[in-house]
Amino acid sequence: MLEGHAMTMDTRLGRRGFLGMGLAAGVITLTACGSDNKSATASGDAEAADLVMTVWGGESDKTAYQKRIDLLTAKYPKLKITLQLIPNDGYAQKVQTMIAGGKGPDIMEVAESVNVYSSKNQIQPLDDLASKAGIDLEKRFGSIGKLYSYQDKVYAIPDRSGAMIVYYNKALFEAKGIKAPTADWTWDDTLSAFKELSIPGKQWGYGGSGWWPQWWSFVYQNGGKIIDDSGKPTVATDEVIEALQWAGDLIYKHGVVPTAKQYADMGADIGGDQAFANGKVAVNTTGFWAISGLTKSKIDWDIAPLWKGKQQAVSAFGSGLAVSRTAKNPAAALKAIDFLTSPDAQQQIIATGQDVPANLDVQKSDAFLKPSWMTKPVNMNVFGESSGFVYRAPFIPQWNEMQKAFDDGLADFWLGKQDARTALTAIQKQLESIVKPA
Amino acid sequence: MSRLRRREALWFYLFASPWIIGFVVFLLGPMISSIYISLTDWDSFTPPKWVGLQNYTRLLTDDPVFWKALWNTFYYAAISVPLGLVIGLWLANLLNKQVRARKLFRTLIYLPTLVPLVATAMIFKMVLAPSGPLNDALGLFGLPGPSWLLEAVWVKPALILLSVWGAGGATVLLLAAMKGIPRELYEAAEVDGASPIRQFWSITVPQLTPIIFFNLIMGLIGAFQVFSQVYILTKGGPNNASQTMVPLLFDQAFSFYKMGYASAISWMLFLVILGFTLLAFRTARRWVFYETEVR
Amino acid sequence: MATALSAATPARERSTPKERVVGVFRATPFSYATLILVSAVLCVPLVFVVSIALSSDQTVNANTFTILPREFHWENFTRVFSTELPMQRFLLNSVIISAGAVLGQVLSSGLVGYAFARLRAPGKNALFIIVIATMMIPSQITMIPQFILFKDLGWVNTYLPLIVPNFFSNAFNVFLVRQFVSRLPSEIDEAAMVDGLGFFGIYRRIMLPMLAPVLIAIGIFTLTATWGDFMGPLIYLNDESKMPLALGVQYITSTSQALQAPPWNLVMVGSILLTLPMILVYYLGQRYLYEMDISGGSAGVK
Repeated sequence: MLEGHAMTMDTRLGRRGFLGMGLAAGVITLTACGSDNKSATASGDAEAADLVMTVWGGESDKTAYQKRIDLLTAKYPKLKITLQLIPNDGYAQKVQTMIAGGKGPDIMEVAESVNVYSSKNQIQPLDDLASKAGIDLEKRFGSIGKLYSYQDKVYAIPDRSGAMIVYYNKALFEAKGIKAPTADWTWDDTLSAFKELSIPGKQWGYGGSGWWPQWWSFVYQNGGKIIDDSGKPTVATDEVIEALQWAGDLIYKHGVVPTAKQYADMGADIGGDQAFANGKVAVNTTGFWAISGLTKSKIDWDIAPLWKGKQQAVSAFGSGLAVSRTAKNPAAALKAIDFLTSPDAQQQIIATGQDVPANLDVQKSDAFLKPSWMTKPVNMNVFGESSGFVYRAPFIPQWNEMQKAFDDGLADFWLGKQDARTALTAIQKQLESIVKPA
Repeated sequence: MSRLRRREALWFYLFASPWIIGFVVFLLGPMISSIYISLTDWDSFTPPKWVGLQNYTRLLTDDPVFWKALWNTFYYAAISVPLGLVIGLWLANLLNKQVRARKLFRTLIYLPTLVPLVATAMIFKMVLAPSGPLNDALGLFGLPGPSWLLEAVWVKPALILLSVWGAGGATVLLLAAMKGIPRELYEAAEVDGASPIRQFWSITVPQLTPIIFFNLIMGLIGAFQVFSQVYILTKGGPNNASQTMVPLLFDQAFSFYKMGYASAISWMLFLVILGFTLLAFRTARRWVFYETEVR
Repeated sequence: MATALSAATPARERSTPKERVVGVFRATPFSYATLILVSAVLCVPLVFVVSIALSSDQTVNANTFTILPREFHWENFTRVFSTELPMQRFLLNSVIISAGAVLGQVLSSGLVGYAFARLRAPGKNALFIIVIATMMIPSQITMIPQFILFKDLGWVNTYLPLIVPNFFSNAFNVFLVRQFVSRLPSEIDEAAMVDGLGFFGIYRRIMLPMLAPVLIAIGIFTLTATWGDFMGPLIYLNDESKMPLALGVQYITSTSQALQAPPWNLVMVGSILLTLPMILVYYLGQRYLYEMDISGGSAGVK
């Protein structure tokens, strides 16, 4: 019924578009997107709907999502979800075009850029819907339950979430008589271990921390913040500068991390993940995804939680599920998300080896701790242990611009041509013009 | 206007109608709306807000990255376009000879333009590594190779190198045109005792000028709009040293959600390209040789 | 030397027996040396592609590739077909979309380009400036308005936005044909005019045969561009069953995290499989591009 109505709307618009060729077309295209943007307030049966869900990733991601959707359809036969897998490079653009064209997805995967959509009122606040459905976010997801919120409203339900973890080369550690790293290691402990594990020009103690989840972890460990609670950028503070300088010194002062040049010589796009896999670096900090590749690797390795600074803090990777403003049936969309983040469905995330499920119960379950595809004993407890250390990264609406400012402003720093204070002072100035406190 | 002339004009518009209709239906509307968008603040989700010329004034007075990108684009175009023309002509001339296995040679030289850019970019990062094959080769001549993609000074030459690698694409049209040059001209020249080099300059090149001109205009437009190569190989880095106009506006439009600002950039770029193209058309009268004057 | 070489070129041999290789077309050892050197340099990166395509997952993981292949994991080529993605369907879609696009461009471009080169009409110059100017607007910026237009037409998630615009030619091809036609002596159509052929008759009978190489070039360009394009399909298609191969390769390249490395060996296999048909088309198609003796035709009319 609802569908039929939408279709006549479309053909009418279509005819108008045809008649108004040329000059008028420009105006129409703009008004069309205005008129189409009326919020679909209709909410019907929460257990019967035909929904479109967009996710990014590769083929293995598709398998994992589809399995979970199949489980959903088995339980609620009238709740149909069409999965649209979009290559990650084109995801934002495709979704943006879909929304601008007036036909956004009903459910969409979001991550760091969640508030690009929420701040522009493109996804719905889920607090009311979630409490109506009886979902307790804190209970289900722990400290990251409200990770995807904006101005005190939750805009996405966590779906996948794994802390950044430490991968270490067991053989190299044992050869030097160094005990496995723990969450209690301080920066000094860490540095001295790195030094011992390094052989100049041949082997390095650590893979480096040029990516934001890495050096930001040090910033938060050091009591610094990228954006403070009032929404102002604070990257030129002593805490941030000290943390970044520590990360930079690992490369150019202590030589325990490969330089950009040394990395470029190892191969194209090579980073800590690959250098660790081929035994060139002894420690690497990255996400869950490295595990599946390493299970086939020749080196002997295990995982550990990230060390600490003045306090524990670590970045988390993951994504959440949001309901778009134009969703045909928000109640049904939430029902679907509720099921997809329930233990039954979340188990598939680990069973397929895709990622860490956000649901804490699943993170503690045997299915997660001893996945069937794992070929060697790996301390999977680390993810549960780390989840308490996760700090809330500032997913501001201008996330992409902020990242670009860091990329540009730190380019010389990571090449060893500038100190942290100079770089961050310049970036702070730039961020102040980008980030306007809400 | 005579009846014949009127009939000719009618046929012109009839023949040109596919393009005219396509332009009006598919392009004119979007182009006009992009002009309108450039005068607004639009995030592509919520209704646009009229800001007048603000995007343009900010661009010209308050955005150092814009000027940097404009300079980089000039740099890239100024070197890669002439280089591409010369190399294309040289290769086409070689491939036009009666060599054995010339089909294979032609294919090999055209091949780089066929390979998907994801693959090309990956390979180029390896080739351009500080101790990669290219620097090894330079080392044979005693030249110290730079860290191409890591250094602000060398990243633009690296992009130009990538464009040169694809210069074989230009040979297709040049070769097709060379085949159309009447053999009698060469035979006559040979009888007159003109050397092959002389023949190349006084027969081949003049006969090809319309196509060289086409390649020049297309090269200009293409170089000013260079996108994927930059986006995939360098992402504009380090610190915007290789940022060019289209990647810049792409970021504004699809990463920062500033459609208005991006549209303003694209219309500035339009003006720049238009200026150079008109300049090229103006000089064309002096060196492009048409069998029939194009009116 | 000359006879030995002309024996290697049957196309030439078949024309007139008295024909011999004109000096400038004679290949010297120097031309061979240059060609071999240039081809070799251009091919280094391509050997790299093959080398990566044949490497094991372990090599990919550790990113320890070499220019010359050391391992030969041919099974990578079958692996890309054993994924959940319907690769055969992708291939078919690529063929449908590309064939439609090529047909459209070849049919329309000759007509429009000829008009701009030869026919006189008021407003032609202004119109030609507009033709050229349309190329100067980056397509990225008209993408969203265009998407809205196609959505209003109800064409989203069909092949139509990818095929139909090609039937209206484009600026590049119009300009290209115009340049080609303007090289041809105008006595040809003047003579035909005297013979009483109308404008369409001139185009159909005289121009079209002479334009064959440039139309084939347009066909090859359109084919390779459409074949490799993934942005258009990405924006306009939603159903997997409608997507082309180029988008399939994007899926192989895609990972769920920014710094996660894609399976490079499969990416390269995908790239090779995507490129091979185009190489074949060019290798076989160049016969029609370069070996047709259109110069003889024009000389005959003189």
